[in-house]
Amino acid sequence: MRALLGTTIPIGMALTLCLTASCERKAQTQVFTIGMSQCNLGEPWRVQMNADVKTAADKHPSIKMIFKDAQNDGLKQRAHVEEFVSAGVDLIIISPLEAQPLTKPVAKAMDVGIPVIVLDRRVRGDKYTCFIGADNKQIGRAAGRWIVKQLGGKGKVVELKGLMTSTPGQDRHTGFRAGIEGSEIEVIFEADMKWLEGKARGEMESALARFDEIDLVYAHNDPGAHGAYLAAKAAGREKDIMFVGIDALPHEGIIYVKQGILDATFEYPTCGKEAIDIALKILNGEEVPKEITLGSRLFTTENVEAGGEPIGSEP
Amino acid sequence: MSGELKSIPSLSPAREAWWREALRSPIFTAAVAFGLVLVLGLIFSGDGAFYKWGTHRDALRQASVYGILACGMTVVIITAGIDLSVGSVLALVAVSFSILSIHWGWSPWVAIPACLAVGTACGAVTGGIIARFAIQPFIVTLSMMVFARGMAKYVSGGMKVSTAVQGANGTYSYVDVPEIFRLIDSRLLGENLSVVSLIFLACVILSWIGLSRLRWGRYVYAIGGNEAAARLSGVPVGAMKVLAYGLAGLFAAVAGICQAAQEQQGDPETGMAYELSAIAIVVIGGTNLMGGRGGIGLTLLGTLIIGYIEKILSINAVAEANRLMLTGVIIVAAVLIQRRRV
Repeated sequence: MRALLGTTIPIGMALTLCLTASCERKAQTQVFTIGMSQCNLGEPWRVQMNADVKTAADKHPSIKMIFKDAQNDGLKQRAHVEEFVSAGVDLIIISPLEAQPLTKPVAKAMDVGIPVIVLDRRVRGDKYTCFIGADNKQIGRAAGRWIVKQLGGKGKVVELKGLMTSTPGQDRHTGFRAGIEGSEIEVIFEADMKWLEGKARGEMESALARFDEIDLVYAHNDPGAHGAYLAAKAAGREKDIMFVGIDALPHEGIIYVKQGILDATFEYPTCGKEAIDIALKILNGEEVPKEITLGSRLFTTENVEAGGEPIGSEP
Repeated sequence: MSGELKSIPSLSPAREAWWREALRSPIFTAAVAFGLVLVLGLIFSGDGAFYKWGTHRDALRQASVYGILACGMTVVIITAGIDLSVGSVLALVAVSFSILSIHWGWSPWVAIPACLAVGTACGAVTGGIIARFAIQPFIVTLSMMVFARGMAKYVSGGMKVSTAVQGANGTYSYVDVPEIFRLIDSRLLGENLSVVSLIFLACVILSWIGLSRLRWGRYVYAIGGNEAAARLSGVPVGAMKVLAYGLAGLFAAVAGICQAAQEQQGDPETGMAYELSAIAIVVIGGTNLMGGRGGIGLTLLGTLIIGYIEKILSINAVAEANRLMLTGVIIVAAVLIQRRRV
């Protein structure tokens, strides 16, 4: 019911807006249908991505969005693309689960003339219109450098890693290690917490039991850093330790920084707003770049109210 | 403490010495398996972390949610059933409890009973369907597993229910963590015992009373041992099954409340695959998957075995791949030890 209202109201509003607009200017009557396939709405970051796409699309009465959730199933997502093609949408936005199984369906959509914007994860080859993503290695490196600066080049760090069989986990790890290279930062404890807050808390309890001196916790996502904070708080040691996370979702990491739980979080941009900007350009026949890499923002206790600061894309 | 049906000693042809019998009992072999896990901890102590009480307190805290689920699972498995829905029901309750407590500001005196009712209802519905239509528990509880996960996502809108509250203009502000969350996630006895571990112990004692001291427990064993015979002897099989699955749902709700309090939020994705851990705990303890035999004391030991394996691997910072392989090996070893009757 709520979902129904949620989709019908914006569409209805969009239609009314179109109608009123068309009365004034007959030229702008065209409504573009964009199909968006999300690989897994079980992840908060991807829920945020869809929310960002929707917010951006709602500002343009000429766009009608159709959202689909593949629930972590590559074949389901493949079916999404095929359904969008047979429905004859004007453009497809896809955040693919895996490259290989989705390369061919995306290429087929391109063959019948439907432009495809690929978000966050790639497909193989170059049969797509535009790829928008962020660079986890770069974010990990920026986090590493910031940590070196904060600790004065020396300290004991716990690294709580995301799922290490996933690319974001690997990149946030190697980037971080590159960032602290050359300093006297020592990673005294590392564990795979699989992005899970509860698991991160248990691992942090082990680290606290083993080491009397911990200067900072670097977690590959904000829930991980929050779990570590709860463990340290229970041990009465949260004041002696800094906590750094990644993702900076508005309802998660940013709130944690505002509450003084995390000392810093690095944004991993969802590309949602940018996807709609690019989609409009493509639909209006403008040229768009093939690859767009978005920069990240750093949120700390000092700058969070001001909206953070860009970390840029220096190598 | 276990509630197995034992043959009456006086009727055995050659009565054995009491200690021989004790050595053969499943509770003893489970205790031996747990003892061996503890020895592993003493050897691989993680720079002495294993010798600190805090490590044991934390191991108990982390195992408690699984243990609470395993209590309900034990009862269901003794009826020769299985409940795959407990992880999802846990998530549904965690989400509901967070919405009621954090966003709606309900008093815990109302929110907790409401959440317990939600969990019990989920269990009673599956139990009722299993009993009324004689469908395999596997498929009915699998359906509830999917349904309850869907409900958890629906009521939460697919987002974690946390202390971040979205305002009318789309920006987020935060509210305080409710007092009840802090209370459940605190410690007693001079910071030496987590409240969730106490809740787990309370669940153990409650189920032990139910299985070993009440007529209902006898019925549960009778149904698992031979359902047709139990029916013919006048056991109200259907009602007992509804009670068994309802109890599993109730414990899943208790676990969900503990989970939400510990994570300070209701995550619709939480509790994923917890049902498998709960089943593993029950079986490692020594309760028979075929039903009719087992007990809650065994499940307590099973919880400790699983909890300590995880903690010992964690304090030694064993890499994830090795951790999984070692866990598999240790679990099989623990079960094999129990097989070998002295």
